[in-house]
Amino acid sequence: MSKKPDWFKGIFPALVTPFTKDDRVDEAAYRELIRYVLPHVNGIVPCGTTGEFVYMLEDERKRAIEIALDEVNGRVPVVAGTAYPSTRETVKMTAWARDAGVTAALVAAPYYLKPSFNEVYDHYDALNKLGVPLILYNIPQCAGTHYQWWTTEGMAYLENVVGIKDSSGDMPYLMAVFEKVRGKIGIFTGHDEIVPAALAMGADGAILASANVIPDVWQTIYKAVLSGDLATAQTLMARIQRFVRILARQGPTQAVKEALQLLGLPIGDSRHPMMKGDAFRREDYEEVRGVLEELGKIPPRPMTYHLYPGGPTATSQFPKPPAAPSEVRDMTLLVGEGFAGPPFSELAHIDLLIGRKDGPVGKAIERALAEPRPGHELRIIFDRPKTLLVPTVTVRTKRQAENVYEHAAGGVVMALEALVKDGTLPPALLDDIVLIANVFVHPGASNRWRVRINNFKAMKAAVRKALEGRPTFEELVAEKHSARHPFRYAP
Amino acid sequence: MPAKLPWLRGVFPALVTPFTKDEEVDEPALRALVRHLLPHVDGFVPCGTTGEFPYMTPDEQKRVISIVVDEVAGRKPIIAGTGAAGTKETILLARNAKEAGANACLVVTPFFLHPSDKGIYQHFYDVAMAVDIPILLYNIPQVVDAYLPRNVVEDLSDIPNIVGIKDSSGNLTYTMEILEMVQGRIDVFVGHDEVVLPALAGGCTGMILASANVYPEVWQQVYAAVQEGRIEEARALQRSVQKLSRIFCRYGGGLAVKQALNMMGIPVGQARRPLKVGGSLTHEDRAEIQLELERLGKVAPDDSAYAPPDGPLAGRFAALGISAEQVKAASLRVGTGTAGVEPENVQIDLVAGPKDGLVGEAFALQLTYPRHGYEALTTILEPNLTVRPSTLIVPTAELRNLRQANMIYGPTQAAVARAIVDALEDGTIPKSAMDTHVMLVQASVHPKALDRHALYHAVLAATNAAIRQAFGA
Repeated sequence: MSKKPDWFKGIFPALVTPFTKDDRVDEAAYRELIRYVLPHVNGIVPCGTTGEFVYMLEDERKRAIEIALDEVNGRVPVVAGTAYPSTRETVKMTAWARDAGVTAALVAAPYYLKPSFNEVYDHYDALNKLGVPLILYNIPQCAGTHYQWWTTEGMAYLENVVGIKDSSGDMPYLMAVFEKVRGKIGIFTGHDEIVPAALAMGADGAILASANVIPDVWQTIYKAVLSGDLATAQTLMARIQRFVRILARQGPTQAVKEALQLLGLPIGDSRHPMMKGDAFRREDYEEVRGVLEELGKIPPRPMTYHLYPGGPTATSQFPKPPAAPSEVRDMTLLVGEGFAGPPFSELAHIDLLIGRKDGPVGKAIERALAEPRPGHELRIIFDRPKTLLVPTVTVRTKRQAENVYEHAAGGVVMALEALVKDGTLPPALLDDIVLIANVFVHPGASNRWRVRINNFKAMKAAVRKALEGRPTFEELVAEKHSARHPFRYAP
Repeated sequence: MPAKLPWLRGVFPALVTPFTKDEEVDEPALRALVRHLLPHVDGFVPCGTTGEFPYMTPDEQKRVISIVVDEVAGRKPIIAGTGAAGTKETILLARNAKEAGANACLVVTPFFLHPSDKGIYQHFYDVAMAVDIPILLYNIPQVVDAYLPRNVVEDLSDIPNIVGIKDSSGNLTYTMEILEMVQGRIDVFVGHDEVVLPALAGGCTGMILASANVYPEVWQQVYAAVQEGRIEEARALQRSVQKLSRIFCRYGGGLAVKQALNMMGIPVGQARRPLKVGGSLTHEDRAEIQLELERLGKVAPDDSAYAPPDGPLAGRFAALGISAEQVKAASLRVGTGTAGVEPENVQIDLVAGPKDGLVGEAFALQLTYPRHGYEALTTILEPNLTVRPSTLIVPTAELRNLRQANMIYGPTQAAVARAIVDALEDGTIPKSAMDTHVMLVQASVHPKALDRHALYHAVLAATNAAIRQAFGA
């Protein structure tokens, strides 16, 4: 007989926990986030992995759950994360959550120390006695303990275990779970990258980090699969696959928070040691921004460009987060850097100059074209704005030449086309500005397509960063101690 | 209980297999390599992992073993690598090795498919029964993707012609376990160059090493020092080859060893494809091999001298197109600093100015016109974290190789970036300059600079001084 409750289906965001600048749970922002997702979701999950439960003190966890319960006010189920490494603490927190009125408790496998299968079983057996519905939670990437299917099967017989969330992304494991416990308990996936596949196999729903940001897209995918419209699910998934891959793999707490910041929600950063520019790398930020632009989540916003102080001025609109500056005060000489990888030998690193045609950048281009240097061919690769491609490394072989002048240049041109089209480079000033892209292509580069794509990404990021004045003073100061220069150390 | 082999001790190079340009076994080169190593080693191991055995046919392996046997002419024992994924081929290879005159075989854990303990035991048992030759087991999980199970080793050590095990895992808990399990019935050799000293101290009786193609005499000294209880001396010796051993072990094995031998004037050609420089061994790490060999005295050192710009500071930026007169006329901010102990001594000369002036023009021109060997790059704390005011680092001496380039684009760049952000934070560089100014840093780094950590701190100190002079009251 199935213990699966009627409410356990659909899309549940694993809510991030916003913190204030002075590092307290930010109640106002948390409530705003819940209001943002609520129209699109079937339930919410406070204090999950994405909610940084492991970085929160007991009182903070309780407060977050209380806020979630209060804000939701019974409209959707609230499944609260209550895990600790020890049985004793987990029992205490789960009992508290029961009394606070959660719909169910989501309990991650006991982590850090690696209990054996029978110890894991006994852990949940102890929780089973509390009388609150329990959702098992397999997340070996973090917990270090992978439920085996026979552990899951055994625990599914515990009377209060009503579901499982499997975040492993391990499809063969999930298939074994379907085989063993389908019809006994509800089955959710917790891995953003495989949701349609899991739903197609009969998963009841998904608890997802990325559902903080795009709950509407997930709801559409969920309903499409439910109604047998796999084509729609596949099309939508193709649009968000990159996005959810980054969110799932590059430190979901900070990744989701920065994505929400891009939308303009007042969400701060993750608690340390997760931090900006770390597991969620700056190139990931640019990529996430790009996908949100494609989804129409970041609307065009105006930017005013001054060619030089007191000089010609133009306004253009391009997709830009609300926090980005609205003015470029002087285009005499703007410097941008773009780095995109991996892999190592195909990485792209662009030093970009944007400047006035009659300024230092324009003069450098004129001189370069007037006095060519043997063995170091410079090429104009784009007309409006006029753009000069400069190889950082002297080109010695035919293969290097192809990689630089064909594939890297191809990527740079793709980026310029996109940036002209979306208005980042202001139409009114395209004849007044010039660009120099100093492009590093590793002599060992093999994978031509990766060279092209990485240069596309690096160029797009470099232009945006040059115009938007990134990195900021605050970023530089905040990261000067922790910055990891990749070539600073001995091999 | 197997009889122990008295010769099974000391230093054995896992010979690289020299290939010609068209990837054929290069017999003269192989003979020359053997002659070069003979005085320094206790035996030879042809057709091991370093010898690229999986890339050779059984006939080629037999021929390589024969060549080594012939060249050595009985003066030292030969342990032939005879590993294969399947038992049938392993037996064939072991027979071939015996016929070729090898003294023992080195048989790797069966790879690709992953038999369980019984299958692994049966594999070694069948080989030992089929071929009457002493056998060394061979644990190398880095390439086999599985450990030789210790219980299987314990049982195999009862078979009379299984006489030893080579452990290349580098995992000392495994090595110690094996030493414990076999209780001296068979000899345990270390096969991981990075942990030779601790493995010998723990009870290993010899070593089969990739790096013994390059510095067998160092390993002989380590071996002797440990035997005689001179641990401090052994530590210093191990330390002297630690980085190079790491590169050999982790970045391409035989491929990396071949680069070293070629640099030393012992031509052995390249590895067979798909391995190549620029792949498993990066160009950067190849350059690092060159430098480490210089340090060990195995190749002649780079003879370029350290000659930072001298004379009045204002006149040091001519290479950037900024003359002393222009520095004065435009009131550009200039500063200099020196720091560090040779060869990690540096001089930093810095010029800063508004974007719409001379410095802005020089900045744009340096990025447009990279001079070969003097390429300028913007200064970053790390990729995607460029410092502002935007700053270019330009080397003052030609960078002759990738390794010298790495000293500039790695530790030097990181230190200049840090000094700039420090100065921004403490207000030495006004925050407004982030948008209005650019800077050019001429970095003079000693061409023999070696210690990246020391270099980083020298550059940091010198750049701090230069910034303070340029932006001081």
